[in-house]
Amino acid sequence: MSKIVILGAGISGHVAASHLRRKLSKQHEVIVVSPNSNYQWIPSNIWVGIGRMKSEKILFPLAPLYKRKGIGYKQAKAISFFPEGDKNEEKPYVLAEYIIGDKKGQHEKVTYDYLINATGPKLNFEATEGLIPGQNKTYSVCTYTHADHAWEGLSEVIQQMKQGKKAKILIGTGHAKATCQGAAFEYILNVEQELRKHKVRDMAEVTWISNEYQLGDFGMDGMLLSYKGMTLKSHEMVEMIFEDRDIKWILGAGVNKVKDGIAYYENLDGEIKGEVYDFAMLIPAFSGHGFKAYDKNENDITEKLFKGFMIVDADYTPKPYEEWSVRDWPETYQNPSYRNIFAPGIAFAPPHAISKPRKSKNETPIFPSPPRTGMPSGITAKLVADNIIDSIKNGKESLHHKGSLGNMGAACIASAGFGMTKGSGVSITTYPIVPDYEKYPKTQGRKLSKTFGEIGLAGHWLKLALHHAFIYKAKMKPLWWLIPE
Amino acid sequence: MTQRISKYQKFKMMNPIIQFFKFIYLSIKIMIIVAGGHGGTRENIK
Ligand SMILES: Cc1cc2nc3c(=O)[nH]c(=O)nc-3n(C[C@H](O)[C@H](O)[C@H](O)COP(=O)(O)OP(=O)(O)OC[C@H]3O[C@@H](n4cnc5c(N)ncnc54)[C@H](O)[C@@H]3O)c2cc1C
Repeated sequence: MSKIVILGAGISGHVAASHLRRKLSKQHEVIVVSPNSNYQWIPSNIWVGIGRMKSEKILFPLAPLYKRKGIGYKQAKAISFFPEGDKNEEKPYVLAEYIIGDKKGQHEKVTYDYLINATGPKLNFEATEGLIPGQNKTYSVCTYTHADHAWEGLSEVIQQMKQGKKAKILIGTGHAKATCQGAAFEYILNVEQELRKHKVRDMAEVTWISNEYQLGDFGMDGMLLSYKGMTLKSHEMVEMIFEDRDIKWILGAGVNKVKDGIAYYENLDGEIKGEVYDFAMLIPAFSGHGFKAYDKNENDITEKLFKGFMIVDADYTPKPYEEWSVRDWPETYQNPSYRNIFAPGIAFAPPHAISKPRKSKNETPIFPSPPRTGMPSGITAKLVADNIIDSIKNGKESLHHKGSLGNMGAACIASAGFGMTKGSGVSITTYPIVPDYEKYPKTQGRKLSKTFGEIGLAGHWLKLALHHAFIYKAKMKPLWWLIPE
Repeated sequence: MTQRISKYQKFKMMNPIIQFFKFIYLSIKIMIIVAGGHGGTRENIK
């Protein structure tokens, strides 16, 4: 009998738990430890943040589902890792703290045979002074509660505009090394469309602020893509969309401080500037959770497990951008020191960025961190689950399932406005996610037949179809496993 | 504001009939990318 513990019930943790439970017999235990009682389909937070979808539509409680499916569930958060056990506990374990109910505040040693760390990112708002969701007129759409607040803030500004007050709207990244530009891109286009719907577009100045060097970088070093039979650069495509929608932009901006209605930033020229706004949605820096790890004698071994995020089978040797290779990226998400620990999704430490690193004249690094979107989060979680299943069934370690971001495609269907007839979406697919300059030297590291862009109503329908399909899948309804990650 | 997308292009982007076929086309293209699978990158390294 094996016991598999999964930390986190986001996209990757939930995918891993559901596949493990489906494919392993009931003699094996599958346990999820996660602090949030709900599963949330994060991509649809964009629509919660413009008041077009209620947050209840993007979430459901985990406990009843896990009970029905025979998945153990502890509403608790992991605090520290003991991969060798300790003097009193033979088995490896994670120390978890309950966060609700009678056991609130109590600690428990959750032992395991296999551990999947799927804790995603810490939303590190503290890294930017004054960037607090719901304060200083700044908001976030990273969780459903944040998105609810964002809509409250936005609707207030819309009301003021209806009464004749002009407003400045600022959307983008809130830290010099933030990632997830794609989410901010979706939000700015959705907000812009809502302003038109509310007939206040002419009262608003809408501005994109980002740590990207060029528009359309998306933390992926930009891309060449096929668009209507042409080969476009992603910055040309985004520039076309922004100009058409009258959205201004500020690039190479490392926001470092937010005061009531002013975002201060340093640009690549080393200038410190401030941008005034009435409503801002700025994506915070993502960081690891600051977990600690200890050996059997309780010596600190954090550096064996973590480098901010969790160390996996990547090549972490520091090297210049010109020497980066797809082979630096992990394939199995296994920790090299403790081979029964894995970290799919956002929880693993990337070997380096994907976008070219840039510094300001004051030596401040200003460039996007690498994104790990929903599709690769799901795929990496499933392959980790499959390797664990094979290892249990074969009685020895099996790592046949591999999935490097340098050999995996991703579809990013960015909503550009909500509505069955008035909606729009920018559908972009990329293959591979991490550019492979050896294989595709003439097309900026990507295969053009699989890297394309489309703009139009169909993109909105697609995004809506994905919303329903993934919530169906997450609820583990009949034949859920036929829906791919 | 600069009109970068022509009225005709916008008509095509928002026409439900054209977009219905686009929806089918995009769904298939995305499925091909997903079904195209994934793998490692180090197999050929000796
Ligand atoms: C606004 C927004 C829109 C997005 N839109 C898209 C999109 O359109 N398409 C797309 O592909 N991707 C999108 N993404 C990215 C996508 O949401 C992420 O790639 C995905 O959520 C990552 O999955 P994950 O499981 O690694 O992390 P998460 O989904 O963040 O899950 C982490 C889990 O760990 C839990 N946890 C945290 N701390 C602990 C702890 N100490 N112990 C135990 N559990 C813990 C959390 O409660 C959570 O359940 C978007 C992201 C945002 C913020």
